[in-house]
Amino acid sequence: MSERNVEAWTRANTDYTDARAEEAWGKDEIDWGIWAVPESEVHALPDVSGKDVVELGCGTAYFGAWLKRRGARRVVGVDPTPAQLETARRCMAKTGIELELVQAFGEDVPLPDASFDVAVSEYGASIWADPYKWIPEAARLLRPGGELVFLRNSTLLILCSPDDGKAEERLLRPQFGMHRFEWSADVDEGVEYHLSHGDWIRLLRENGFEIVDLIEIQAPEGAETHSRYDFVSAEWAMKWPSEEIWRARKSS
Amino acid sequence: MPPSDQALRNREHWDNESDEYQAVHGPQLNVDDLIWGAWSIPESEVGALGEVAGKDILELGCGAARWSIELAKRGARPVGLDNSSRQLEHARGLMAEAGVDFPLFHASAEEIPLPDESFDIVFSDHGALSWADPRVVVPEVARVLRSGALVAANVSSPFLDICYDEENDRVDTRLHRSYFRLDTAPEGNGAATYELNDGDWIRLLRANGFAIEALIELRPQEGGTTTYGGYVTYEWARQWAAEHLWVARKA
Repeated sequence: MSERNVEAWTRANTDYTDARAEEAWGKDEIDWGIWAVPESEVHALPDVSGKDVVELGCGTAYFGAWLKRRGARRVVGVDPTPAQLETARRCMAKTGIELELVQAFGEDVPLPDASFDVAVSEYGASIWADPYKWIPEAARLLRPGGELVFLRNSTLLILCSPDDGKAEERLLRPQFGMHRFEWSADVDEGVEYHLSHGDWIRLLRENGFEIVDLIEIQAPEGAETHSRYDFVSAEWAMKWPSEEIWRARKSS
Repeated sequence: MPPSDQALRNREHWDNESDEYQAVHGPQLNVDDLIWGAWSIPESEVGALGEVAGKDILELGCGAARWSIELAKRGARPVGLDNSSRQLEHARGLMAEAGVDFPLFHASAEEIPLPDESFDIVFSDHGALSWADPRVVVPEVARVLRSGALVAANVSSPFLDICYDEENDRVDTRLHRSYFRLDTAPEGNGAATYELNDGDWIRLLRANGFAIEALIELRPQEGGTTTYGGYVTYEWARQWAAEHLWVARKA
């Protein structure tokens, strides 16, 4: 993750995420991604009650708040964007939900080795940080047997995405060599990182993770294209996965 | 259990197609090397199987058994299984030419006629893990493997499956079919190959006691040529993985 991403997310917080944060924090059910697929359907998370959780790229930390409400013992939200952490602090004060917040990039987290049972990232470090740096960090932070769960855009979506505009129904860029992406819109949207499934498995395995699941998300029937996150239409996402959740366990 | 109707249709397909298949693709496949897939990527590069010498290895959907013949020459103890008797006749011919001998079984991989825990490696290079239902075959693979043993399956990728234009019988860059509705692809005369998406492969392998070791995405070498041009073009396969290998280890 770079300073460019901090700038992009400072703008995004002003435009969107700050105003949505309190509503997101207040949701009763955990859901995933832009189609708000409920955790009760996808079963991506381990039981978090009594567990120590780190969220890598927490943004306004609504996901961490949900896990804290589900009984996590400790939730630490890590994010490099001060404006989003400020929003998270305001939500903490309003809700009384206590998280610990750390301003840092997912590639370099100032927390001790083997101090967490669960690491999560939902559109956080999972796409905004370099996986060749943040996956080793996640491995370092987890205790043996600890679980890593992250949501990213699907590889197929990236291959079908033009530099600007919605995903198309055709392959537009090569899979071999994919890693770092700069989308050229009017405003700087920052730098994203996306790998092929083979590269994800290799990277996770090299860092001592066992692959537990890959949940490829289908937009539910009746879904409508997201008003802000309109990089993919609901119609596209009903036929092909626009998002996927990886679940991996650190070897004990 | 008798073979399924689909297995019988696939058997008929291969019995009918075998001679022509061997005539067309034999020249590409008759090399003194272990090679994977449409672009003959050497195992020395892919590294899916590891050490083979001294190992009990089952080839599922062995065809003319060129893989197993090369494995035998490298000190492995291969066994070939194929659903087509005509394919196995080609195998016997090539084995005699190569001066090697090992058991061949005529059966659908839906029900492998071999004892539990008798192999160190089971593999399929566009073989029975493509031409029989993996949801039926993978439990059989788990049964015949020893604990700690390896399965490797080279199959068409779901990207190729969804980009395959059935109407024009060729792959292009358009997404013709839903990723969530992959099932079977027609191969003519009622024959079919099976398609699973990546998440389904991971769940299927894990549900049968396998730990996922790797997903090796195959890419043709620069300037690579193939006799399988009707399956995928060089231009496509250089950009996207048309074939990939699931490698998993039994707990």
